[in-house]
Amino acid sequence: MNCDIYDGLLDDYVDGARASDRPGDERLAVFESHLAGCARCQALVADFTSIRRTASALEEHLPSPRLWTKIASSIEEEQQRPWWQRPLGNAFSAWVPISVAASLAVLVAGATWVALRHASADAVQQAAATPADSAGVPAEQHYEQAIAGLQRLAESQNEALDPETRAVLKQNLAVLDRAISESRAALADEPTSALAQESLLDALDTKVALLQDTVALASDTGDVSNDAAGAAKELNQ
Amino acid sequence: MRTADLELAARCRAGDVDAFEELYRQHARRLFSLVLRMIGSADDAEDLLQEVFLQAHRKLAGFRGESTLGTWLYRLTMNHCLDHLRGRQAKMSRATDSLDDEDAAEPAARAPVVPSAISRMDLERAIDTLPEGCKAAFLLHDVEGFEHREIAEILGISDGTSKSQVHKARMKLRVILSR
Repeated sequence: MNCDIYDGLLDDYVDGARASDRPGDERLAVFESHLAGCARCQALVADFTSIRRTASALEEHLPSPRLWTKIASSIEEEQQRPWWQRPLGNAFSAWVPISVAASLAVLVAGATWVALRHASADAVQQAAATPADSAGVPAEQHYEQAIAGLQRLAESQNEALDPETRAVLKQNLAVLDRAISESRAALADEPTSALAQESLLDALDTKVALLQDTVALASDTGDVSNDAAGAAKELNQ
Repeated sequence: MRTADLELAARCRAGDVDAFEELYRQHARRLFSLVLRMIGSADDAEDLLQEVFLQAHRKLAGFRGESTLGTWLYRLTMNHCLDHLRGRQAKMSRATDSLDDEDAAEPAARAPVVPSAISRMDLERAIDTLPEGCKAAFLLHDVEGFEHREIAEILGISDGTSKSQVHKARMKLRVILSR
């Protein structure tokens, strides 16, 4: 008799299946009848049972106690990285917070300016008393230079980014440009206002950061020349 | 159980490190044992398990509670193990596959050939020689106690394939342990 036809049932039997527990399963009942008179299948059942019993009692191996520490510090290190350097899986969802962050920066800048315009004369006077203009113009020039350089890099490497990413970046840059224009207009109205100055510099700073992210992302994609990536680093210094 | 899993996953996603440590403590020992038996080296097993938990941390956002967190983690772990083995030992596997076929010849035994009291060490050594496919199914079924439908989910195979792989592993172990 070819016992191979019972192989699946033999394993079920070793795993504890019995015809008495499965009234509707004729196949198991047939196998049990066969088993009663088959030395080969009885030998297999005995051997498999012995293997299974020993396997279920194998000891657990313990990882070293430092493994959790390594995992925890890797997670912490990963979370501290800029979003574009995080492994794929977090990267796509990171576009949502970046977009929200850019929009928030604009809202904060706008709200600050609105608050400034409606602030009491005393508050404006106090703000104006701070020495904003001493460092303001050079700082703005520095930002302008950095932005111009980064924009050239970003435009030259734009093709390395996928269309969806480019669209989000373009939208965020447009929002930031509006914020910069509005801050400049406000500063033109009240040149001595420290808050207006701060709003402008914040918007410029956010734009520099976004452009740096863009260049780094293109660099990470691998289609950016080393020269371009190096130039971005220089601008960052 | 599923609710508890979803709550734990939600806490992990929210950045609760204690919750992620809880997840680690619940599963690390069994997963480490499984990985060690799959790939054979304690150092490699720790590196691989570290990568599994890092990936789990990144992918928890995609956990929908359709399976238990444990099954989900086992699936991640086995994918890593099989990738690791296939990458490192592609040539060796091809070579041993042909040997496996020769070894698979069933002893013409009409009486048990395996000692009724197998030493754990002998069984560990015998498991180590199994080909990766049937080893994975055997470890999950006979060592870890999963049912075939769960193994099917973890390994991405059918219930029937899981059963046939466990049978194949038991037959091979029987041959090895009878020597």
